[in-house]
Formats: sequence, structure tokens, C-alpha cells
Amino acid sequence: MPNLLQTYRKNRTLIITLVILFLLLLLAIQGMSTRDWVVTVLRGLAVGSITFLVAAGLSIILGLMDVLNLAHGTLFMIGAYVGWSMYVRPDTVVDATTPFLLVLAGFLLMPLWMPLLGRLRLGRSATRVWPWIALLAGLALLALALTRYPLSIWSGTEYQNSPIVWNQYFEAGTVQENVTPATFDTIIAAVVDWGSLLAGSVLVGLAVAGFAIARRGPTAQAARSVARPLMWFALVAAVAIGLYVVNTPLSDFLLSLSSNALFVLALIVAALVGAGLGGLMESTMIRPLYDRGIYQILLTLGLGFIGVEMVRSIWGRTGFTMPKPALFSSTGDGCPAESISGWLQHQCSTIIVDIGGEPARIRTYNELFVIAVGIVVLIAVWLLLQRTRLGMIIRAGVQDSRMVEALGINVRRVFTLVFALGVGLAAFGGVIAAPATGLSDTMGATLLLSSLIALAIGGLTSFPGAAAGAVIVGLTQQFIIRYGQLGINLPFLAEPWKPSPPLVPASVILLMIIILLVLPQGLFGRSE
Amino acid sequence: MNAQTTGRFAWKSHIGFIVTVVGLAALPFIMAVMEGLPVGSLLANDSSTAKFLQGLLVEVFILAVFAISYDLVLGVTGLLSFGHGMFFAFGSYLTGVLLKTFGWPLWAVLVGAVVAGLFNALLFAVVLPRVKGITFALVTLGIASVFDILIRTQELNPYTGSDVGLQGIPRPDFLNPVDDRLRFYYVTLAFAILVYLIYKRFVDSPTGRVCVATRENENRALTIGFNTFYFKLAALMVAGITASLAGMFNTLYKPLVSPEIAGLGFTVEGLLMLLIGGIGTLSGAMIGAAILRLMEYYLSRWFGESSAFILGAIYVLIVMFLPYGIVGTWRLRRLDIAAGRQRLLSMFTGRQRETPDEGKL
Repeated sequence: MPNLLQTYRKNRTLIITLVILFLLLLLAIQGMSTRDWVVTVLRGLAVGSITFLVAAGLSIILGLMDVLNLAHGTLFMIGAYVGWSMYVRPDTVVDATTPFLLVLAGFLLMPLWMPLLGRLRLGRSATRVWPWIALLAGLALLALALTRYPLSIWSGTEYQNSPIVWNQYFEAGTVQENVTPATFDTIIAAVVDWGSLLAGSVLVGLAVAGFAIARRGPTAQAARSVARPLMWFALVAAVAIGLYVVNTPLSDFLLSLSSNALFVLALIVAALVGAGLGGLMESTMIRPLYDRGIYQILLTLGLGFIGVEMVRSIWGRTGFTMPKPALFSSTGDGCPAESISGWLQHQCSTIIVDIGGEPARIRTYNELFVIAVGIVVLIAVWLLLQRTRLGMIIRAGVQDSRMVEALGINVRRVFTLVFALGVGLAAFGGVIAAPATGLSDTMGATLLLSSLIALAIGGLTSFPGAAAGAVIVGLTQQFIIRYGQLGINLPFLAEPWKPSPPLVPASVILLMIIILLVLPQGLFGRSE
Repeated sequence: MNAQTTGRFAWKSHIGFIVTVVGLAALPFIMAVMEGLPVGSLLANDSSTAKFLQGLLVEVFILAVFAISYDLVLGVTGLLSFGHGMFFAFGSYLTGVLLKTFGWPLWAVLVGAVVAGLFNALLFAVVLPRVKGITFALVTLGIASVFDILIRTQELNPYTGSDVGLQGIPRPDFLNPVDDRLRFYYVTLAFAILVYLIYKRFVDSPTGRVCVATRENENRALTIGFNTFYFKLAALMVAGITASLAGMFNTLYKPLVSPEIAGLGFTVEGLLMLLIGGIGTLSGAMIGAAILRLMEYYLSRWFGESSAFILGAIYVLIVMFLPYGIVGTWRLRRLDIAAGRQRLLSMFTGRQRETPDEGKL
């Protein structure tokens, strides 16, 4: 009993805040009919689960390596767009994989350069100048080869070939008929292009090694293994060219898949692309800045803006929707369903359930599937953190990463892995969110803001805090939106006040500021 | 510093500043001469390339003031604020609304802008004692986002024009950039120089020194016995007033207010200016603003839509490879360069000269 009292005393502010939040929820529910609040809570949980997918990665990354990744929203958006491409235009993704793998193959040779260049004895000015020449030549070659690479791609500016039109083809099931396969005219052109892609990436790799030597002086290290980089190089290059050879049959096969299978593929591809981008970002850009605190934030902020521009140039400035997979899209026979089994049987887009004497329309994708995914991911990440060795290292690293390093664990590798995981999760979330909310170039910024708020409310580095914060943000948003439609009866006002939709994010921000003023560490954050 | 030790004005250590001021003051005339125009046509306000470039430079001066005020908060005092754009936007909007809707005279608008700057600083100061570091960044970002959302709402449409922004703001007679751009040029130039001198004085004053100490190690400053809150508040207030005044000039010059300046993008632009020039160097912020504005102009002329991408790439490259910016790097290397020159000289004269005095960073 005294124990309980002690806990209460220690966390008095927290408990009072939670009680007030709960009372506010009750008050909000009071003003609605049962059907209304059930649907609103479901919507809030759906928004919360998407926010959670972004916030989870942000929170673990912030906790482990003290990097506030402001590019997370953009990466979420890139995930959504990549997922859309895999879903609607898998042939383009197959087309683009070949040049991408070839460039990767060129970079895989990088471990060979340092020892090789170390033996080269050049004058001081030559050592400084040649990497620049190699870099410029390499970038020029890459740019030339990439722009000339044949891609069967949509257009960001032209309406006839825009993603919107491809969505229409997708819904009519005629994507395959409209795709024109993209191949090189002659095999010589293909070989030249592949060659310049490889040469370009090799030159850039050489330049990077050259810069390192110019800065630090040649190191007399011997190549650890010549065979391994060469083997990887050969493997990746072979896969790339093999993909080109089987391009048409593979594209046809992918295009003939059902939309459910494609959606799963899109989730996997987006998560992988996100993880790859995250790993690359951490290992090349953020790692050199670990001892320069504020610069990491500035860097990720800049990367976020670059990412938005990239998305705009590839997919266009106008937003579009992503068609829902077949399992959630039917409106025909037997729809709207009246039970879960009815939905599975007819694959309906909505279910009508009787709540409190009124029929409630619940969308199967937006309000059931998204929540289910959020819960599954929550449990999966929880298990990862609590039950695996990696999770143990992460938790220990959040407490004190230098101590973990002192114990002989390669923390740097864990950093890269966690960054990749976090970004992969955000990209995965992007694909989950896309059919529900559509794609636009502002989706990243919007979601970044709400997940930052969720983090701040829950306590910056606490994982359960991120989940709780995401749910609070989602519920608050949806209740305010619903009240915006119903109107709130305020004292001294004759008519009910209807907050306009743009005010919704403002209310969440205000909630955050109030909670932070009461509890500067957030709800579940550690005090320092 | 030399001025204080010798009791005489040290021309040498201020030569860069003096050359810049004189150069900028003479620039409109040099431009006119280079274009082959008589000076009279410049005074008569004929439209020409010279007039256009004056306009571009006016924007540079305004942005330079915004950048230097951001530098005081972020670079000198070390407050990680992501809501600084709001100070500028608040001043801009207030000026627009006061002139357009309420028809206030210019001097009253000026007072209003100063009060608005103080108000904004106090708004940030409310959360200042409670939150630090990243949380402070989030809260300031949040406050600025609320402001951004508010000015875009339908509820305030009659005043702020929501998504379209404020247009058709009446120009006051005294400061009219169309009828008499040269005067506007000199007023904004004088404003920028004045702000620079005040800031320089502020940072060198005991108060400013404590601000720097707060940035370096807040706990130590507290231990010595300074209540750092007041010093942070002072820095915020000074920055708030100047940014707000810069916003006022922005509205007077354009004369319209687009809601874009209230978004996070504008704050990031400010960050980019600081990074180009060097965080915490004051003069670097102004140089950075000049470079950024001119670069933006020429990039968008040459590359069109992809200029934003190039700017982003430059931003990332600077963060990674030139973290102290132009002025910061120069100050770091200045001793190296001076030492190299000394070595070279001593080779000829054959005797050791005393090492150059420590530069202030």
C-alpha cells in the first residue's frame, strides 16, 4: 500500500494529466450518439496507427543515436510513391531495377580502391585534383547514361500519361494493354549504356577513395579480401543484366497478378527501398556528423526538402489516389456486407453494422485494416525490442550507447540497422496510408508534424510513449473533425461553432504545447 | 577590440565593413554609369536594369536583417528555434493588415511592428523555462505552425486573405518603392547597417557575452550565478523586434504578403543563409542572405523548377563539408593564412616576428 502511494506521489502530474485527458475523451463522447463516437474512435485509431508507424521509427532513432530525423516524413512519402509504382506500374519498377543494380555493383567495388590507390605515389597537387576530375566525370557519365536509359514510365506533367490516367487503367484492368515495353534499339547501345553506368559509378567510388587519401594521406593497409567485393560485384551485375533479359516476361507476370498480391509486393518493395535509403543515409551522411549535434537536424531537414523535390520531379506536383486492393474495394453483389465473414466472402469496401440502434458505415480498409496493421506492427516491434538480442542492444543503447560500445558491441552497425529499420517502417506505413489518404507532395510534411507531436506528447525516446502519443493525436484530430461537422455549443454564441478543417492540426499542436508545459518530458519520457 | 586598447579608431580592423558600406551606398550610381545612364535619370527614378537591381538588393537587405536576427537566437544564444520565420511573418502580416484594413499611418505601423516583435518573443519565452533542446525546437515549430494555420483559415479571411495572402496594400507616400526606389534602397541599407552595428554591440556587451556562455554551457553559466532565462529572453526580444521590422519592410516593398513566409520553408531558408555564411558569426548571416537571394534568383532563371533541388543539394553539401560557413571558415583559417605569410616573410628577412593576435571567433 505505501508502495502504491509512493508511485502516486512520484507521478502525480502524469496521473492527473491522464485523468484529465480521459475525462476530455468522455466529455467528447457525451456530445455524440453511440454510432457517431464509435466510428470517430475507429477513425482516430486508424490515423493514430499510421502516425505510429512513422513515430515508432523516429522515437527509436532519436533514443538510440540522438538524431531527430526530420526527413522521416519525406521518407514515408517516398515509400508511398514507390509502393504506388510497384502496385500500378510494376513494369516500370522492373525496368528501373537494372540501372540501379548496375550503379550499386560499381559502388560495391569500393573496398578495393583504398589499398590500390595507397600504392600510387603522386605529387601533392595531383593527389588533390584528380578526385575532383574523377567525380565530375563519373557524375556526368552517370547522368548521361541514366537519362538515356529506356524506361517505360508515366509522366509528371503530361495528363495523357499521368499517374491519374494510369490509376484509371488500373481500375479498369487494362494496364497491361497500355504498357509499351521499353528496350534498347540494339544490343550495342545496351552494352554501351551499361558500361557507362558501371564506369560512372566506379569513377565516383574512386573519387571518394581519392578524397579520403587526400585528406588523411595514403594508408598502407592491405586489401582484406579481393575476392569478396569482386564476387558481390559479379553477382549483382549478373542479376541486373539477367533482369533486363527477362524484363518482358517478368513484367507480364507481375501485371497479371491480382491486386491483393501486388499490394503485398508493393509493401515489401517499399519497405526494402525505405530500409536501403535509410541505411545509405545513416552510413554516408549522418555518421560523419555524430559529434556535431545540431548539424544532424539541419542535414535531415535539407534531405527532406530534396526528397520532396525529387518526388515532384518523378511523380508530378498534382496529388492522386491509390486504388484499394481487391479485398477492400468491391461495391457490387452482397455489399455492403453485414459481418466480417460477409466482407471476406464478397470483398466489400464497407460494412454496415448496427450500433446503438443506428446503422454505422465502416470502411473495411480505412477503419479496420489500417488499425489491424498498426496493432500487428506495435506487437512486432514490441517483441523485437523485448525478446531479441538486437532489441536488448537497442534498449541498452537508448540508456547509454557508449557503455554498450565499451562492452564490445559494434554499436555503429546497430545504428545503421536501426536507422534502416525505422525508415523501412515509415516507408511501409506510407504504402498502408496511400489507399486511405491518397498521395500528394505534402503528405510527408503533414505526417512528420503529427508524428513529432505524438513523440513530444508521449516522451521523445519512449516507445510506448510514441504509441500512446500517436493514438492521442489521432483521436483528437478525428473528434475535432467530427465536431467541426456537428458544431459545438459554446456559451455566449447563438449558433454552434464549427471549426473549419484547417484548424484541426492547430488543436493538436495546442494540446502538445499544453502537455509539454505541464510535463516537459512528455507523458512517458525519462526525466534527465 | 583594437579600438579600445589603443584609444584610437582602428581603421584596419574595420576596413572590410567600411568598404562594404561605401560600396553599397555608391552601387546604384556605379550601376547607372556602367549602363551608360546619366545620374539624373537615376534620381528621376526611370525604370532600368539599375532600378531592378536596386530592388533585388533591397530584398537582400531585408533578408539579411532576418538572417542576422535568426543568428542571434540560434547561433549566438544557442536556442534551437524552428519558429523564427513566424517573427518575420507576423511583422509582415501585421503591417499589411494595419495599412490595408485599418489605414494606420506609417509611424504607428512601426510602433505596432515593434510591439508585435516583443509579443512574439514573450510567446516563445513562456515555454522557455520548461523545455530545452529538441523539445524547444518542437514547441517553437508548433507555435509557428499554429500561426501558419491561423492565417490560412477561412475565419480570418477578411484580414489575411487565407491562402491567397494579402494583396493591394496601400503604399505610404514616404516609403514608396515604385515612385522612389532609390530612397527605399537607402532606407533599407541604413536599416541593415544599423541592425548590424547594434547586434555587434549587443554580442560584445556583457549581456551578449552571457548569451554566448549560455550557448557554450548553460549549466556553467547558471553555476556562475547568471539567471540564463533573462539573457535568453533578451536575445529573443532583440531578435523578435528586428525580425518583425524586417517583415514590415518586406510588406512595404512588395507590397503584398504571401502565406508562404509563415511556413517552415521560410525558416529553413533562414537556416540556409546562416549555414552559407557561418552560424554564430553575425556578418556571416548577412553575407549568407545576400548569396542565397542572388543565387536563388539566378538559379531559377537558369534552371527553372529544378532550382529548388539544386538549392537543397547545396544546403546538404554545406552542412557536410563546410559546417562553419564562409565567414566561420575564414576566421578559423585566418590564423593559418597569417602564420603562413609570417613564415614566408621571415624567410626573407631572416628574423622571427611576433605571432598575430588571436582572432575572435
